[in-house]
Amino acid sequence: MSRLSAELRLILRSRMGVGSLLLLLLLSSLAVWSGIAQMERQRETIARVSGEQRRDFAGVAATHGKPDGDAGYAAYYSFLLTHDAPPPLAFAAIGQRDIQPFVLRVRALGLQQQLYDAEAINAELALPGVFDWAFVLVYLAPLIIIALMHDLVTGEREGGRLRLLLSLPGQGLWRRRIGLRYALVLFALAVPFAVGAIVTHAPVAGTAAMLLVAALYLAFWAGCALLVGTAMRASASAAAALIGCWILLTLVVPTLASAAIARAIPAAKGIDLTLAQREIVHHGWDIAKQDTFERFFLNHPEWRGREGFEGRFHWKWLFAMHQVGDEAVARDVAAYRASLIARERWSERVGYLLPGVAAQGALHRIADTDPFGQFAYQDRIAAFHDRLRHFFYPYLFTDRPFTRADFARMPTFAPRLPSGAVPAAPLLALAVVAALLLSAGSRRVARISGADRA
Amino acid sequence: MSAATRIAREEWRALLRNRAGVIATLLLVALVLVASFVSIERRDRIEADRARYQASVDAGFDRQPDRHPHRMVHYGQFVFRPIAPLAFFDAGIDSYTGNTIFLEGHRQNSANFAEARQSSLLLRFGQLTPAFVLQTLAPLLLIFLGFASVARERERGTLRLLLAQGLDGRTLLGGKLLAQAAVALAVAAPAFVVLAGFALAGVAGWGATLLLMLGYAAWLLLWALLAVLVSAWAHDSRAALAALIGLWLIGVILLPRALPEAAAAQVVLPTRIETEIALHRDLARIGDSHDPDDPYFNGFRQQVLARYGVSRIEDLPVQYAGLVGMEGERLSTALYARAAADSAGREARQNRFVHAFAALSPLIAIRQVSMALTASDPAAHLDFLDQAEAFRYRFVQTLNRMQAELIPHIGGEDPRVSADNWKRVPRFAYRSYDPLRDAGAIRRSLLVLAGWLAGLGLLFAVTARRIGRVAR
Repeated sequence: MSRLSAELRLILRSRMGVGSLLLLLLLSSLAVWSGIAQMERQRETIARVSGEQRRDFAGVAATHGKPDGDAGYAAYYSFLLTHDAPPPLAFAAIGQRDIQPFVLRVRALGLQQQLYDAEAINAELALPGVFDWAFVLVYLAPLIIIALMHDLVTGEREGGRLRLLLSLPGQGLWRRRIGLRYALVLFALAVPFAVGAIVTHAPVAGTAAMLLVAALYLAFWAGCALLVGTAMRASASAAAALIGCWILLTLVVPTLASAAIARAIPAAKGIDLTLAQREIVHHGWDIAKQDTFERFFLNHPEWRGREGFEGRFHWKWLFAMHQVGDEAVARDVAAYRASLIARERWSERVGYLLPGVAAQGALHRIADTDPFGQFAYQDRIAAFHDRLRHFFYPYLFTDRPFTRADFARMPTFAPRLPSGAVPAAPLLALAVVAALLLSAGSRRVARISGADRA
Repeated sequence: MSAATRIAREEWRALLRNRAGVIATLLLVALVLVASFVSIERRDRIEADRARYQASVDAGFDRQPDRHPHRMVHYGQFVFRPIAPLAFFDAGIDSYTGNTIFLEGHRQNSANFAEARQSSLLLRFGQLTPAFVLQTLAPLLLIFLGFASVARERERGTLRLLLAQGLDGRTLLGGKLLAQAAVALAVAAPAFVVLAGFALAGVAGWGATLLLMLGYAAWLLLWALLAVLVSAWAHDSRAALAALIGLWLIGVILLPRALPEAAAAQVVLPTRIETEIALHRDLARIGDSHDPDDPYFNGFRQQVLARYGVSRIEDLPVQYAGLVGMEGERLSTALYARAAADSAGREARQNRFVHAFAALSPLIAIRQVSMALTASDPAAHLDFLDQAEAFRYRFVQTLNRMQAELIPHIGGEDPRVSADNWKRVPRFAYRSYDPLRDAGAIRRSLLVLAGWLAGLGLLFAVTARRIGRVAR
């Protein structure tokens, strides 16, 4: 213990050591605070929009909710709000939440022409990326590790103390030095995050998993620092080499990988399906109404025999036509989703080689703020849309009047359940890479000890 | 040969001996070239895709059968935003803004299918463009090459020796700067050659191209200057490295990321949903065309009857409902324009807040210059949105007029206008955006960079005197 406290005093006496640890603590706290503020703003936006929506919906109900009201008008003019509040851990890993919509209104018309609508974002603000705890961990913490650990061996050699140190009796000198620095960095990162998790009532398992990611990722960098630090003769060149590694691993290679993935897996199906759906829906106006109904009955046989109406127009035909449009592009929708998932999978595979990418992917999967979280929200919207149109069919196909009271019976959107999970593969990859580097680094340190002692 | 160039030559020799430095420099140059080619290919593909989509939806519009014009108002038109030729150099916000809008009557739809929304989180690490390499990575290279330039001499004791031999502090520092500045420009040279190629080919204007080169030259010189200065001030080269990396981290990575959050907290950007609801409320306040006693539309009816010199709607030579549709479109378009201006104003306020910090983080200045000149900035996107909206109004009103003028002559249960008419409906023709149209923002950002250079130059003079004094 006394040796450990002696080592601690040594770190605290160096300006660089204390400075960089305090800086990390400050940045980590700022990031957590800013992440909480940002997610709080999203919740406020949802509350604000919900209020507006209630007023708007009441207006629609007042206009169209008459004793002999037509369900068609009600369905056509009723936009219903869906929303996706930030999951508890989103404050630490905001992910795509700054650019993906978290409120969307849908009505009983074709879903595919509504689902991909964008919300108002300021693209220039989104461009540099979000400032959150995950960013501090993935980008900045490695630099602090480098600052603290690059000269562990070279610094002693340059100071002329290496031989003396190695001749001292006792074991575990390097383990103590490395372990302590590693623990301090992890501590500076983890404390603000843990406080944030408590404040936001985040689930314990998710919090622990994110801390595990941080621990593994930092272990990788500690191993890196050891490996490079022992290979170099001078502290300055060790620092330069390590920063070079950092640039390659967090700036250059991920960018190259991202360009390659975007090139290899195009995602144009979204536009294709939108165009196709529009053609089908509008073509419906030019073909016999019975043809549209026949296609509609394939999946809605319960309404067969109820399609007849007098005159040129009936709402049930319009809504059937929109549903037929959605069903006709189901294959395209699946292909579009598949292309987005393929991009995700390839990013995950990149993470097997790049610890920064693995850590980023794992953090956002745990926090449920990655594209899979967005898919879950979209699926939830689709399920709600399904309920909504099925709610209207009995009114439309049996010509039942839609009254004021029926507006109150309309389904309301229930937010999705958290779908965050601890991804095994990236974590395992991260653990393996970290373990490999740490053990290689320790072996080198041990060899140096041996060599210098001899 | 002057003393300063001799110093510079010595510095180059030292840089050449530093194997890691040479490799890093070559890597960066390679990266600039790779980024250029990847990015040019990417831009060309996007451009071809969008042009193909535009042609196919335009042909699709022509192919529509005989229809009631109002059906065509809702069949609508898709427009795809062409991507500027220089956007290969700096993708700007292109990946974050939707690139296609569905235009129809009495609705303003969002621009959808932004690449960033369809990408994994990897994209947020940055996009491989020459701008990314020059803005983010090149300063790091210059730090690596320059951090030891003076500090090394001090550590080895050669600094004192040189100055004792009568070398002037200004000459020494000037020589070091000359060496580093030459490297900085050499690193940027491949990118400049590619840019010049675009200008020579007539694809991009010389004005924008030269200003872009000027901006990046200033940006890189700034870092060369900074590296030599910090190296001259630092105790040893390690401290110089730490200080420079710290400056880079704060100026290039941290501030640009942290400031947007502060800006977003200051100015609330309303959601499209709120805008839409407010707009319909305002529209309802103006009047209800279905209400026979509505004062606004009664006034409108009187005007129409007076214009055609008839007393009854049935006597009009045109379809009254078509005219009401046109009036409704005019009203809602004005409201949409107001909402869009409000939203653009709020975004501009947020962005101005960030830009105000350019004096602290010159990256913000070079990013502005770069995005603006490559026509990939918010101004260029807004210009596209404006063009699309103006076009929407024109084609919807063309169809509404067809309804008013042609339908009375057709009549019947299901009146349809001949499909030949669809060819008369205007098509979207994008007028390419001239980045120098409103050069105020570019000038301001260039001035910020010039201010940085001037300030560092001043510091340079002071440092040179100090170094000279220290030795004596």
